[in-house]
Amino acid sequence: MEKIGLTTTIPVEVIYAAGMVPVDLNNVFINHHNPQGLVEEAELAGYPRNICSWIKGMYSTVMQNDDIGTVIAVTQGDCSNTHALMETLLLAGVRVIPFAFPFDRDYDLLKLQIEKLMEALGVSWQQVKDAQKRLNKVRQRVWELDRLTWQQNKISGWDNHLYQVSCSDFNGDPELFGQQLDEYLAKVPDMPEIETQIRIGYMGVPPIMDDLYHYLEERGARVVYNETQRQFTMPFNTDDLVEQYRLYSYPYGIFYRLEDVQQQIKLRRLDGIIHYAQSFCYRQIEDMIVRQRLDVPILTLEGDKPNKLDARTRMRLDAFIEMLR
Amino acid sequence: MFAGIDLGSRNVKVALMDEKERLSLHKFDTVAFYRQHGRLEDGQLVVDLAGLGLGAIELKSLVSTGYGRQTINLKDAKNIPEIKAHVTGAVYLTGLKDFTLLDLGGQDSKVVKISKGRMMDFETNDRCAASTGRYLENMAAVLDIDMEELSRHYEDPVDLTSTCAIFGETELIGKVVEGYSTAQLAAGVNYTIFKRVKPMLIKLASPTIVFTGGVAQNRALLEIIRQELDVEVIVPENPQYVGSIGCAVTALKEV
Repeated sequence: MEKIGLTTTIPVEVIYAAGMVPVDLNNVFINHHNPQGLVEEAELAGYPRNICSWIKGMYSTVMQNDDIGTVIAVTQGDCSNTHALMETLLLAGVRVIPFAFPFDRDYDLLKLQIEKLMEALGVSWQQVKDAQKRLNKVRQRVWELDRLTWQQNKISGWDNHLYQVSCSDFNGDPELFGQQLDEYLAKVPDMPEIETQIRIGYMGVPPIMDDLYHYLEERGARVVYNETQRQFTMPFNTDDLVEQYRLYSYPYGIFYRLEDVQQQIKLRRLDGIIHYAQSFCYRQIEDMIVRQRLDVPILTLEGDKPNKLDARTRMRLDAFIEMLR
Repeated sequence: MFAGIDLGSRNVKVALMDEKERLSLHKFDTVAFYRQHGRLEDGQLVVDLAGLGLGAIELKSLVSTGYGRQTINLKDAKNIPEIKAHVTGAVYLTGLKDFTLLDLGGQDSKVVKISKGRMMDFETNDRCAASTGRYLENMAAVLDIDMEELSRHYEDPVDLTSTCAIFGETELIGKVVEGYSTAQLAAGVNYTIFKRVKPMLIKLASPTIVFTGGVAQNRALLEIIRQELDVEVIVPENPQYVGSIGCAVTALKEV
């Protein structure tokens, strides 16, 4: 089956409807045995130092994987650097399909975008709806995992992150992913309690360092809400695919996203929020608004290189946890 | 005796406190301290306190903080977060409960808002040390003056952009070539520190700023902050020991 790369979550139903395998390039990059090596490779190719590592990682990931001949690039609603990523990929002979989430969440414009994607991949609405049913069966189980995360003390912030973030592409095999989920969920009742007193909400793009969740738990705090990752699971009650991606908050404005965050702060009884923004990302500017609008203590974290927390960030996390205690 | 150790980037500070809260303060060069007094045991740093020349100490409890603790745990010591240590020290030394703490250390800038004795929010410098002691030392060396002389000047400053601690040197040399006086250049250097910490101070503003860390010995900077922000600025005695005193106070209270 043909593989197709994604720069972030898009209506993945269309890809499954086309009988293709979606590959979230972010996941392949960060799970590479040497993700920093991929960043450096992109810099050697000419990518500037002061550009986000995710973009560079994705570029090198496509360059290294010859079986990814097509990439769907989100040109609006995610990252403006994706434009140039798209252009450098075109230069390298990769087929690029642009996808734009309309800024104002306009239903008709979004529908048009989805239909253009369907046209590019040659699928019908019926096929897309069948794929949606297939994926929703798996999504429902991830929602259950998320519910257990904040209602019990057994599921770690990392596991919550990992299963939810995987819903951008379902690891290319929804049924196998669903099976792994079932195995995990079956083990939950016997899992030991994680002893932490502080409940943290994480907002922003998924972190580039993978030890954040463990570090917090080691220090007595646990992430019980992952904003963007949860959004990747489409936790909405609608059968209308266009509406589903209209409710999906991540690619739209910060004010709409904050409505979701505010609800979850109350529901999940969060003590504080970690607002993560990638180095050199325009989303760092939005921190101003986040701080003004949310009523809980906020720690703004900036991640640059992949994988491990630096000493400075650890110091800031320590102080934040101490502040919430 | 209760001990607090602040493993800083430039100096290791040791504060010893007895039951009557009498303090004795000691400072060591960081690299020399690790080389001469420390050894690794099971991944933890063991410090020969007797070898530090502090006299005969019967140690009841030891609390440490600072950058060192991120990489090496001090054996038999309780580690506390750096910002907590500084806040505890500042509250203890000033008796204040509502203020903004500005701590400028060897490579660190921290601003913490304290309300009713509790830490409410904080900011730290990002990936550059251009508002710290190391920066001032470098700039003083470029001007061929000592820190004492540097800290005298705040009037009629030259304009420096200060985006980077190292490029700042080149910029400063450029200003020397343009013929500015040492007083104007020194004032300009002090102003760059203010410009760097100003957004943090405004974000976490209070009518009173407690200024700590080695850089708090810079009287010009104190004057600049007072004038520009129209606030009261308090510098406790021995401002560079505030973190270690916070540790010693914690050691005393928690035993």
